[in-house]
Amino acid sequence: MNPAPLLELDRVSVRFGGLTAVNGVSLCIGEGELVGLIGPNGAGKTTTFNLIAGVYPPTGGTVRLAGADLARDGPADRAARGIARTFQNIRLFGSLSVFDNVRVAMNLHREASPMHTLIRLGRFRRDEAAIARRTGELLELFDLVRFRDAPARSLPYGQQRRLEIVRCLATRPRLLLLDEPAAGMNPTEKAALIELIQRVQRQFSLSILLVEHSMKVVMGCCARIAVLDFGEKIAEGPPAQIQSDPKVIEAYLGENHAQSHTHH
Amino acid sequence: MTEFLQQLLNGISLGAILALIALGYTMVYGVLRFINFAHCDIFMVGAYVGYFVGRHVPEHTWWGGLIALVAAMLVCAALGVVIERLAYRPLRSAPTLNVLIAAIGVSLLLENLGQHFFGATPRAFPELFPVYTFQFGGNSGVVLYSNQLIVIALTLVLLFALRFVVLRTKIGTAMRALSLNRQAAALVGINNDLVIAATFALGSALAGAAGVLYALNYPSIDPLMGVLPGLKAFVAAVVGGIGSIPGAALGGLLLGTVETFVNGSEWSTYKDAIAFGLLILILIFRPAGLLGRNIREKV
Amino acid sequence: MNPPDASRALPRPALALVAALAAAWIVSHFSDRFDPYYLDVAVGAGINVILAVSLNLINGTTGQFSLGHAGFMAVGAYIAAAVTMLAGPSLVGADGGTSGQQSLLFLGALAAAGLAAAIAGLLVGLPSLRLRGDYLAIVTLGFGEIIRVIFQNIDALGGAMGLNGIPAYTTIFWVLAVAAVTVFVVTCLVRSTYGRGFIAVHDDEIAAEAIGLRTTRYKIVAFVVGAFFAGVAGGLYGHFKQTISPTGFDFTKSIEIVVMVILGGMGNTAGVILAAILLTVLPEVLRPVAEYRMILYSVVLIVLMLVRPQGLFNFRRPGNRP
Repeated sequence: MNPAPLLELDRVSVRFGGLTAVNGVSLCIGEGELVGLIGPNGAGKTTTFNLIAGVYPPTGGTVRLAGADLARDGPADRAARGIARTFQNIRLFGSLSVFDNVRVAMNLHREASPMHTLIRLGRFRRDEAAIARRTGELLELFDLVRFRDAPARSLPYGQQRRLEIVRCLATRPRLLLLDEPAAGMNPTEKAALIELIQRVQRQFSLSILLVEHSMKVVMGCCARIAVLDFGEKIAEGPPAQIQSDPKVIEAYLGENHAQSHTHH
Repeated sequence: MTEFLQQLLNGISLGAILALIALGYTMVYGVLRFINFAHCDIFMVGAYVGYFVGRHVPEHTWWGGLIALVAAMLVCAALGVVIERLAYRPLRSAPTLNVLIAAIGVSLLLENLGQHFFGATPRAFPELFPVYTFQFGGNSGVVLYSNQLIVIALTLVLLFALRFVVLRTKIGTAMRALSLNRQAAALVGINNDLVIAATFALGSALAGAAGVLYALNYPSIDPLMGVLPGLKAFVAAVVGGIGSIPGAALGGLLLGTVETFVNGSEWSTYKDAIAFGLLILILIFRPAGLLGRNIREKV
Repeated sequence: MNPPDASRALPRPALALVAALAAAWIVSHFSDRFDPYYLDVAVGAGINVILAVSLNLINGTTGQFSLGHAGFMAVGAYIAAAVTMLAGPSLVGADGGTSGQQSLLFLGALAAAGLAAAIAGLLVGLPSLRLRGDYLAIVTLGFGEIIRVIFQNIDALGGAMGLNGIPAYTTIFWVLAVAAVTVFVVTCLVRSTYGRGFIAVHDDEIAAEAIGLRTTRYKIVAFVVGAFFAGVAGGLYGHFKQTISPTGFDFTKSIEIVVMVILGGMGNTAGVILAAILLTVLPEVLRPVAEYRMILYSVVLIVLMLVRPQGLFNFRRPGNRP
């Protein structure tokens, strides 16, 4: 692990009224690392995820990105700092085309002023052309070009997932947060997803935090996995170590009793 | 001091009527999460039913007034159910905006049908109940009209009746369940359609009663009479916390009193704007209202 | 591979605007050949187009359900009248000055109208921003009513009795020109990478935040731009009818504009223009049954929502969203 982590959760807690969803969790993600976050239902994975994404502020502890305390920065501020996220229930801009879904995300890293859209000088036109080109490149890279003018909501589920990730990439993130991207996928799709995640990480050299239920996907992608249970971190390490950790097995055993072999 | 008490009394009387209308808004919002724009026009229909029935019963009698009141409540309950069935139920799974617009359409329809059939000129509401005047503290003291007393008394009765229905009957519990989680309610065997129809019936009946009571105190009725009271009642519901029945009552009372005091002051020409000013303030500083709960969208 | 981008799909919008303005000038040049009745209807239609297209930006494109648009119109109407009637005599002389001076005065009045309305739009937009659909609707309705009540209490502008004797500066040229500018501004704004953000905010605000879009800013821009043009439309209206009163800018007026936007298909500029024209012409055609007009409107609204919520003239947008 690098000495200076990109993302650092320092003993963070999240409390909702009387309920402590996350209790003193510490986690580091280094540059270019692919880290998984797993745990049985109700373990606090989604809360931790949303904490990093800026949906809730921490009740205790700090969240630091490249050393800077994110404090009460909301999701839009965090996007500006380089944190991008996907959603458990895919949130695309349904009425915009596939092309425009990615294109609108390009607004983040330019000084977009409404006035410029009216006075379309050379610089505006050059800007728009460059954006169109970059968008096209991204779509081509992920094999979505054939859908480019279709409304995003008309895409098949797997492609929608892919589009959501591509849209994130348009914001040039340093850290990509994936919220259960394999939900609702069959084994073939999961294999394709693993390959997609790995390719994204390699080609865009970013760090990824992956929250997932599917063990196949997590074990297949991640270099390091952290396990939560009842809001606390109970284990952390490479996949093989996690798979054989007795505490982890016990945490899942309670849940898996009725469905011991259906998890994969 | 007497001036203050007088205004307070007038304010409570107005507030009671606003509360009755507000209850309908809040109940429908609680169950369906949308603002029934047509609710204020059901209030108007109630007043007109009271008018027409009132012309066929002798004036100044208790039973005559009660017949008119009950007739108005029944007709409005039926109207509410019909509107829900025809215009809102088909849109239950549509985006909220669609049903909002449909509600606006229903509201306009009722108003314009009213203008078409009843004419736009105001009519004088008959004097339904016996009229007494009570004077407290001598000649320049506080005056209480029996109509105001009737308004306050009947509102209390209806409020308690509603409370009983909501807290102690099966259908009332079903309504509360629906307002908390519509899908779960259906899953445990609640007939959502029936409960929603009942909610509309109850809320509309209250609006109908409010129409008659309002016309008793402000005896000039016209097809557009519901617009302003309706908006104010909605503000009252929001101020009290939309979805909360005690909130609607509290909000109505608050708004009625504030407006009456403003009306008696030098800012009286701005009294209509007061309600909206209050609304904007509440939505900025305490959007859940005084007694409401804040519901976050799940990410 | 060269992908077509939206800024090029709109070939040189500035050129299109100049052409439209030239056409407007030509039309107005021959305007004395037309039956004054039809000219009046055309002016009314043009004003409605401006109102509908400006509201469409707020309601249709950005998805902020505003029911107080008539309030912005009122602000514009009164401010424009104030400029021409109160400041006019001292600027161009009591006799009205030359036609060139009049035009300049009118231009100034319209600009002031738009600016004042834009400020009103900012004041309405700021508190309303975090409110959801139905709340936002009521609050904007409330603001419209507050504006009406305020003007009802300004005696210098006629108060509740209204303001009469506004000079008849509005011509078909002004209306066509402003309509062209409105369509130009709105289209340029939305058909750009920046402008996709409005639709994104409409479709999914949470996702829009997550990709770094400043949703608050987009909503404010929509309100301010929409209000600006509503204000200019109000100024045109005042100098057309020559008399205005607070009750003419009430909730009913706001609803009429909303109906145009819904009929045309929210977010669909071309459809909204058609709907505005249709809804100006139709009452004239239906004059014999004028008393049934509003009943018809309301039934149309309900039926539309039940049967074709995407509007009458919306052929592009799939799905059941209005």
